[in-house]
Amino acid sequence: MLRLSMAAFAVSLGLATGVAAQGALSVQGLGFPPGQMSTRAEGSGGSTSDFDPLSPINPASLSTVGLTSLFLQYAPEFRKVNAGSGSANTTTARFPIFGAVLPLGGSWTGGFSASTFLDRSFETRSQRTEIVGGPDDVVEVTERLRVLGAINDLRIGMAWASGPRLRIGAGAHLFTGRNRLTLDEIYSDSVRNTSNTQQSLVSYSGFAGSVGVSYHPSRVIGFALSGRKGGELRARSGDTAVAEATIPDRVSAGVTYEGITGATLSARVSREAWSSLEGLSGSGDVFDGWDSSVGAEVSGPRIMQRVVTLRAGGRYRTLPFGFDGARVRETAFMAGFGAPLTRNRATLDFAVQRAARSSAGGVDERGFIFSFGLRVSP
Amino acid sequence: MKAWSNSLRILTALSASAVLASCTEKLDSSGVCAVLCPPLGGAVQNVTIEAVAFDTTVNALSGLGAEPGLVLAARGDTLDARVILRFDSLPDTYRQGTDTAKPITVIDSATLRFRLDTLRIKGAGPVTIEAYDVDTDANDTSAAAVLALFTPERFVGSQTYTRAQLKDTLDYVLPGAHVLSKSQNRQRLRLGLRAVSSSSTQLLLSSEEGGAAPRLRFRVSADTSIAPFVLAPFSKTPVDDPVVSNNLGDYTVFARRPPEGGPTELDVGGMPVRRAYFRFDIPSNILDSSTIIRATLLLNQVANPLLDPTDTVFVLPQLVLAGAAVTDPVKAAQITTGLGIDTVKVRPGDAGLTLVELSAAFQVWRAVKATESPHAIVLRARNEGTSPLQVRFSSLEAAPALRPRLRISFTNEVPLGLP
Repeated sequence: MLRLSMAAFAVSLGLATGVAAQGALSVQGLGFPPGQMSTRAEGSGGSTSDFDPLSPINPASLSTVGLTSLFLQYAPEFRKVNAGSGSANTTTARFPIFGAVLPLGGSWTGGFSASTFLDRSFETRSQRTEIVGGPDDVVEVTERLRVLGAINDLRIGMAWASGPRLRIGAGAHLFTGRNRLTLDEIYSDSVRNTSNTQQSLVSYSGFAGSVGVSYHPSRVIGFALSGRKGGELRARSGDTAVAEATIPDRVSAGVTYEGITGATLSARVSREAWSSLEGLSGSGDVFDGWDSSVGAEVSGPRIMQRVVTLRAGGRYRTLPFGFDGARVRETAFMAGFGAPLTRNRATLDFAVQRAARSSAGGVDERGFIFSFGLRVSP
Repeated sequence: MKAWSNSLRILTALSASAVLASCTEKLDSSGVCAVLCPPLGGAVQNVTIEAVAFDTTVNALSGLGAEPGLVLAARGDTLDARVILRFDSLPDTYRQGTDTAKPITVIDSATLRFRLDTLRIKGAGPVTIEAYDVDTDANDTSAAAVLALFTPERFVGSQTYTRAQLKDTLDYVLPGAHVLSKSQNRQRLRLGLRAVSSSSTQLLLSSEEGGAAPRLRFRVSADTSIAPFVLAPFSKTPVDDPVVSNNLGDYTVFARRPPEGGPTELDVGGMPVRRAYFRFDIPSNILDSSTIIRATLLLNQVANPLLDPTDTVFVLPQLVLAGAAVTDPVKAAQITTGLGIDTVKVRPGDAGLTLVELSAAFQVWRAVKATESPHAIVLRARNEGTSPLQVRFSSLEAAPALRPRLRISFTNEVPLGLP
């Protein structure tokens, strides 16, 4: 009943109906989920995310870092969208993860991270005609929509390790962020017609909790399991709550195999209940999604007295927000490397991802995502 | 190993290129908007409403003589406009060097010099300008009293100009004896100028208010080392109103002119200058809750064919800034500002629908309540005070189909925010 009344209130404020002109498959709805994976995890397709202390997914993995570490990731995406006879090339710069991990002594490790949960950055420009004034007075209108913003996941995590075999962790998440929308309607003949600019600022806030465990029964194999339980996510315009939903629950599992000298094979599968965000998305095209990945990490050549780690992997997932009633599917192949720096006090990771997304209506999207990660242990 | 190093270098270069290329975001995906961007903006709604709550014709400027131009015209039965010049303070002595003042006994080369707008001369034939002594103690603002003095007994002189002689600086020679007589008798020199021509003729001279007042120039000695006197128009009367006396240094009086518009008409332009004042009552649901794309005042123009019916009159819509405390529309119509609203070009002889764009005014009215400052405009002629042309529009007193109306094109706000 509360949700129903909130929806009615949002309609009355004129905020509940959709801003549908999103210009790309991957930024439908509330935006694109970069995945909350570190560069290292991305290099192997994301398959090591549940074991990776720099990916804010499984809090249990925090205890594997060993040293106090700061981590920053930069991941620009170069995207090409094809729809009908048209195409568009875009460049989106993202800083998807910033984090810090702090061993607390004994078996405990704490960590803080800020990561992009849903990135909603796009701009569209289209034209239409309107009758303005007399019946024969056809005016061309240029409509420009610019949306900048994201919902971010701030996590504080704590992990406990019982030796190398068992690690357990828990995290508290604050989801926060905002979308700034600017709609310009530019009418031709500025002497007679007044153009129009509308702005809107919607902020989001919500809470969630996560738990995770990783278990290594032997030196060659490890298992990880993590989950997130979402709480209420509210959208506000100014001081007014305009809609609410639930942060999606997630459960994921991963496995690694290190039975081959110098190599690690891994796989991961994740299920995220994105449909819980439907209350914030007027379009209704919100789908729960699977995210599955496999990858490998091998010790590579020694360059300048440093062993470079090479990574490769593949990933398949469905994006949370569909297009035209259909799911958006993404297949991605990744490769990358990691190189230790300054006597292992720092690590530079690089990954390149080739992603292909498709959906209904003959619309497809290709993107290169370059990911740069720097971990520093002060 | 060398191969790996080379590969690393290439990869480093590619990575650096990617970083540099991504420094400037390019989010515009307009190329696929035909499929992925359904229009967001609301459809434009066009409504025509009777939003004019009050209209009237008001006088512009601050009375007789305030016009920036002097019209000298002889246009048959339609227009007879004459120019009055007052030089109420003539010198009767002069000095040469440091000598004591000497009485003026000679006046030579007495000339009136005018600034003539050659682009607005009407008539191709020669024109004679007659000067009359129009000094009188009658009511200062009485046109009839002055016009009655254009008699043969009061004739001072005349000068005829061909069309080629009508240059932007026009010298009119006065009889020196007349000026000398006025000077020696300490009388006012008040001249009335009248155009006489076998064909229709009209001249526009600049007035003191127009920034280039006529000048009376004369010499008092044949000795060229003595500088000539150069006098600007100056009126000593009325003594109790310095503003009016200042205006009456030079002014136009009309012996004949087209009649004013009827009671159901609003007048714009002409001489004396008229403005049309409109006050609006706009529904708040449109003004406050919508986005105004265009607002157009629909006026019915009434033909005024008597004078230059095919000439163009530029009508300027202006926003009234007067607050609610100014209840007199005559006063409110003087407190205006331009808004960059497009000038309306009309011809006095035309009739029918005339459109006045007002969307810029609505941007102000959205921010100012009508209770604080009435939502009003005036229509004024761009050549206000320098042209006798007048255009007319139907007022609220006219038949319903002819009354002023407001056509508003607006959209409702687009729901923004959530996807």
